[in-house]
Amino acid sequence: MTDPALAVAGWLQQALLLPLLYRLGAMQWEDLSFGWALFAVYGLVQVAATFAVCMPLEHWRPVERWPDRRAVATDMLYTLVSRVGILPLVTFVGFYQVQVAFTGYLADHGWVPPTLELLVPPLLGHPVAAFVVYAVLLDGAEYWRHLLSHRVRWWWALHSLHHAQRQMTFWSDDRNHLLDDLIAALWFGAIALLIGVPPLQFPMLVLVLRFLESLSHANARVSFGWLGERLLISPRFHRAHHGVWAAGRRSCNYGAILPWWDMIFGTADFAASAVHTGDPSAPEALVSGGYWAQQAGGLRRMAGSRRPAVTQR
Amino acid sequence: MDLSRRAVLTSGAALAAAGALPAAAAVAPVAEIALVMNSADASVSVIDMATRREIRREPVLREPHHWTLSPDGRTLLVGDAAGNALFSFDPATGAPLGHQVCADPYQLWISPRGSVLVVAALRLDHIDIYDAAGRTLKKRIAARSMPSHIAFSPDEAMVFVTLQRSGAVMAIDLARLAPVWTQPSGPTPAGIVWHDGRLLVACMGSDHVAEMDPADGRVLRRIVTGKGTHIIAPAPDGDTIYVGNRVGGTLTALDAATLKPRQSFTLSGGPDCIAFAPDGKLWITRRFTTTVAVLDPASGSVEPITVGRSPHGIFLSSVLPAARRDPAAALGTASV
Ligand SMILES: [Zn+2]
Ligand SMILES: [Zn+2]
Repeated sequence: MTDPALAVAGWLQQALLLPLLYRLGAMQWEDLSFGWALFAVYGLVQVAATFAVCMPLEHWRPVERWPDRRAVATDMLYTLVSRVGILPLVTFVGFYQVQVAFTGYLADHGWVPPTLELLVPPLLGHPVAAFVVYAVLLDGAEYWRHLLSHRVRWWWALHSLHHAQRQMTFWSDDRNHLLDDLIAALWFGAIALLIGVPPLQFPMLVLVLRFLESLSHANARVSFGWLGERLLISPRFHRAHHGVWAAGRRSCNYGAILPWWDMIFGTADFAASAVHTGDPSAPEALVSGGYWAQQAGGLRRMAGSRRPAVTQR
Repeated sequence: MDLSRRAVLTSGAALAAAGALPAAAAVAPVAEIALVMNSADASVSVIDMATRREIRREPVLREPHHWTLSPDGRTLLVGDAAGNALFSFDPATGAPLGHQVCADPYQLWISPRGSVLVVAALRLDHIDIYDAAGRTLKKRIAARSMPSHIAFSPDEAMVFVTLQRSGAVMAIDLARLAPVWTQPSGPTPAGIVWHDGRLLVACMGSDHVAEMDPADGRVLRRIVTGKGTHIIAPAPDGDTIYVGNRVGGTLTALDAATLKPRQSFTLSGGPDCIAFAPDGKLWITRRFTTTVAVLDPASGSVEPITVGRSPHGIFLSSVLPAARRDPAAALGTASV
């Protein structure tokens, strides 16, 4: 059976990317361009699948109704930039170079970055089990990154862009400051050096994980029930994290996919339920500005965060 | 990969040990298999050559690209570049035999007489020369940048590596373990083979094969084949050299004696490594698909076989000496 997404990526590579690289005299990047094509096409499939499920959900059981949804449009742009277009390109070319230079330096000094499967040999030869362990570990790392981005003052100034949205929908998952995205990529890269991170070996599983992240932002009255909520993060659980009273230092429910980290480290709040989302202290540019206004606003807020007078909660 | 394979296999000394197979009589003779490295799938496909069906997939870590066969024909080493590991397989059955750590083994080749293993780390910009038997690192040579394909001189005195990003070929003296020359070949060189006392280099950023003098790296002539020239594979009959053109989506057959293009086949999907079956057909991986193409050069017909994502290296067990393939024969004749 051939994978239709892969067929599209193959077509993209042969019909557009290869001729372009050939013309630009950059054929050495042909492997990377195919990696990017795969990433972009699977990203598009992710967005389409999320849309197909979340759109009807948000219509059926909305938490909030808004007279106009202009603020949502910017979030759609964030989603497309980060899952289909520019961010993967930056990751695949720019970040790849940094990682390679560092790995090369380590290799020259006699240290070859390991992979989790070599550190835990029983995982070798069981790729699906290995993937699950990776997903759990990366989710744990994501919990700590997210928690720190609330506690460290300048970092919160950047992350507050994600929280500023008063019209939170499934599109809001990728609404992040570019600098925040870069830090996240470095965080991820450091973990990749320690345990290795599988690339797109399991596009379907990655699709499910990213779908859950988007779903948790949906403007839909959806809970997974007492047990379900303790197994996977639901829209209700993550909405509490985005609640107006939870913006800043003293938030709860930092997890991305698994609520376990919040449960272990005492930051889970299953009782909290929020209707209105947003960060009341955020400048208006972060809330309703366009893409670039939000990016500039985030930087300004970060610069201002060095002064003690800035609002901290 | 398809470079100098015959040189590896016809080395008599290397095959002398092939007779003593463990419990050979108890094992039923196995069918001929093809092993395909699925570079974007972290697996190696095992294909039954007769039925043209994938039998199973053996998992590796991340990103298997190329292979090399040990001189005794007992171990197929598969380089997992992003996984920083060398995986061993039984080349006759495809059974996994273990793995070892190795920095970015993108392309790897054991020298014609079996003394050294040369590994080109495409990402990390170095060429490692290992003692083939003990796999201890003898020398790491910085190679900026993107060292990719490897060719040896038949006497094993020299190894030549294409530097994709530099548009050059580096020649390394294997006795002194030091580079001798680095010369421009043409844009983005990929495949390289030793042919008739010369080097043939596929210039992927252009449309030709550069013929280079191995003594000093001078380009002697350029043979136009098609856009994105990527791979060069001399057929075992010594009559034809096949050249895969990545951007043009074609395969060019060159006359081995004159290096003049003789025929061209259309082959979409990003043709990459080529292996030759005993029936004269070419088994070609197609990087931007999930298939291997079996091309009949007599008719030009193509038969696809489904494998994993982005198949790259391909090995056919039919190149193994008969002793290694047929357990019964292995008991009778110790040398080939
Ligand atoms: Zn947050
Ligand atoms: Zn969120």
